[in-house]
Amino acid sequence: MKDESRLKRVLDQGGFAVTAECGPPKGADKDTVLRKAELLRGVVDAVNVTDNQTAIVRMSSLAACTLLKSAGLDPVLQVAVRDRNRIALQSDILGASALGVRNILCLSGDHQSFGNQPQAVGVFDLDSIQFVQVVRTMRDKGTILGGESLTKAPELFIGAAANPFGDPFSFRVTRLAKKVAAGAEFIQTQCIYNLDRFEKWMAMARDKGLTEKTYILGGVTPLKSAGMAKYMKKKVAGMDVPDEVIKRLEGVPANQQAEEGLRICVETIQRLKEIPGVRGVHIMAIEWEEKVREIVESAGLMPRPVVSKQ
Amino acid sequence: MLILDNGVCPSQQGKALFLSLKTRASVRARFQNRELPSMESRMSSDPKEQAGPKTRAAREKKRTLALFYCQNTPESDEAHRQALEKRYASTLKLFPIACSGRLDPLHLLKALEEFADAAYVVACPEGACRYFEGNLRARKRVERTAETISQIGLEKERVGLIANSKENPKPLATLAEEILDRTGLLRPSPVLHRPKRGRGTKEKKDDHSRKKTHG
Amino acid sequence: MITAERKPMDEIRAMIAPYKKLLVLGCGSCVAECAAGGEKETGMLASTLRMANKMEGKEVLIQEKTLDRQCVKDFVILLDDVIDRYDAVLSLGCGAGVQAVAEMFSEIPVLPALNTEFLGETRDQGLWVENCLGCGDCMLDDFGGVCPLARCSKQLLNGPCGGSKDGKCEINPEVPCAWQAIIDRLDRFGSLDRLERIYPPKDWSRKQGGGPRRIRREDQQR
Repeated sequence: MKDESRLKRVLDQGGFAVTAECGPPKGADKDTVLRKAELLRGVVDAVNVTDNQTAIVRMSSLAACTLLKSAGLDPVLQVAVRDRNRIALQSDILGASALGVRNILCLSGDHQSFGNQPQAVGVFDLDSIQFVQVVRTMRDKGTILGGESLTKAPELFIGAAANPFGDPFSFRVTRLAKKVAAGAEFIQTQCIYNLDRFEKWMAMARDKGLTEKTYILGGVTPLKSAGMAKYMKKKVAGMDVPDEVIKRLEGVPANQQAEEGLRICVETIQRLKEIPGVRGVHIMAIEWEEKVREIVESAGLMPRPVVSKQ
Repeated sequence: MLILDNGVCPSQQGKALFLSLKTRASVRARFQNRELPSMESRMSSDPKEQAGPKTRAAREKKRTLALFYCQNTPESDEAHRQALEKRYASTLKLFPIACSGRLDPLHLLKALEEFADAAYVVACPEGACRYFEGNLRARKRVERTAETISQIGLEKERVGLIANSKENPKPLATLAEEILDRTGLLRPSPVLHRPKRGRGTKEKKDDHSRKKTHG
Repeated sequence: MITAERKPMDEIRAMIAPYKKLLVLGCGSCVAECAAGGEKETGMLASTLRMANKMEGKEVLIQEKTLDRQCVKDFVILLDDVIDRYDAVLSLGCGAGVQAVAEMFSEIPVLPALNTEFLGETRDQGLWVENCLGCGDCMLDDFGGVCPLARCSKQLLNGPCGGSKDGKCEINPEVPCAWQAIIDRLDRFGSLDRLERIYPPKDWSRKQGGGPRRIRREDQQR
């Protein structure tokens, strides 16, 4: 069977895509990855594998993607430009494609000072937008930066991340437009709790014609507790957690807050389905992958569509 | 009063500072008919202060306070200064300055290095500095000096700044006495009075392996 | 200007421990401006080190001197007459100064009393901030006079990232987001549309492509 991006097929067919996130382990154990794969089989269209998220050393995204691939899933390789220069980045793209990975998400990456290796140098040779452009050129023109030809072009469905909640708000859609112009075919957003603000951002994106050019998937993260909500509001950069959400969780006894958090998540997905231009949902259930099936089911997104072969 | 390096080429900056310091204070000095104080002239030639172990007991009671004071402090003119120094003999060395803001941390350090167990500054009350910010700057500099000496194991209390009271400004003599009482509690400075191991003290074997902290 | 800060006292003392005749050498330029190694600071350090030695009963000669600049041969050479008195130099120059002195007087150790930090400006009294990386290919005209390499924590040329919040950088709320500044600046000039174009990858070879850099000017040489 030819390697292909299931995610791309679902979106091209007009379906509402579902993706989830898998964080690789802080060790060389492949079984953890395979176990997470089983939790997500048949539940999602593609699985993002994070790249040393929060600058914490974990099994490499490319390795974990390969393991997921071997388990029959469609991985999305996340690549942060924080850790690799342009030589390594382009090299990894070729390697990923050779190993059958068909989706890539190009990111800046969290600053190294956040993680467990704060003494490391942050590479940032390319930024995420330049990187999208590089991958697109490698795929469509078969050349690397500088124009030299590849013996075989990589095959990848190219994505980028977007944060509708970062500052300055007025510039956010300009930045989205740049990512699309650079060649991003799909966008996964930062997790959404403030739907009003998200809807405003989507309206601006539609106005600029961006929803015609790229598939936008809204990000969601189920909250486990009021404490988690408060932490995310205060400590995580680029996050907008409205007070109503926190109050709603606080209004429920501690042992029921997780359930309430899941409920909020499902409601968010249902609202996302209604917003024109939103073509899917990206579920980031960090260390709570076992809940993804329940979320997808409750949101009425099961079963996942059958993908017609090319 | 600024002690320059012994040698060639004081920088332009240092030269300018020294000249301005000298000019201002010398203008006052002309009126008060005394020389610009120099560190050397303040160093005690009292043989007791350089005595050996025999007079250790006597010496232990004897401390020297270097006191830098703003010339706007009440009752601090030349006559008062001389009287005070006479009364306290080598226990107190007084240095008038045009404003406490003129104080350089180096003045305090040099004093501690050469003859003083403690070096203090008397400043005008907050908000009452004739040059507006001088006393505020002096406080910061004194704090910095305290930090520096603590890094080599000297007590921070060997330096300090006392701002005069706004409501009830005290004369220099009163402030000097208060400071003497306070600093009298400190042991004799280990810079000036080394713990005796006998003449020709054997130097500690240096085992200073470079201590670099690795994260 | 180049900024620096004095190393911790323990580290300095450990460095100079083997030596008996020390020249503490200050510099009247950049490090004087940032109050780390000028004449005043040099005097303070020398006095403090002498006191520390006295407290331990150590007999060490410590003398101080300040040059206008340590990074220029014509000033360093003025030490020629006196250098033989010493068995080490503790330099309060920046890294460039320390090395220039070491280059001139290669027979004795020249030790750094400062940690050299960055190229920057005196933003306010007592406040120095980094603003230039010395990339060798200045692009300030494209970014409204705000350098995205030196002042953006991720060196983005197509910023901002998703972590910019209230005009501050995600890594430290005291650090202004350079991209907020660039956007504000270009907005004021009415040229915000410049940022719609994708800025190409940086040519880093102008910074490190040829190893340690040098500039040679024949018209300036004898």
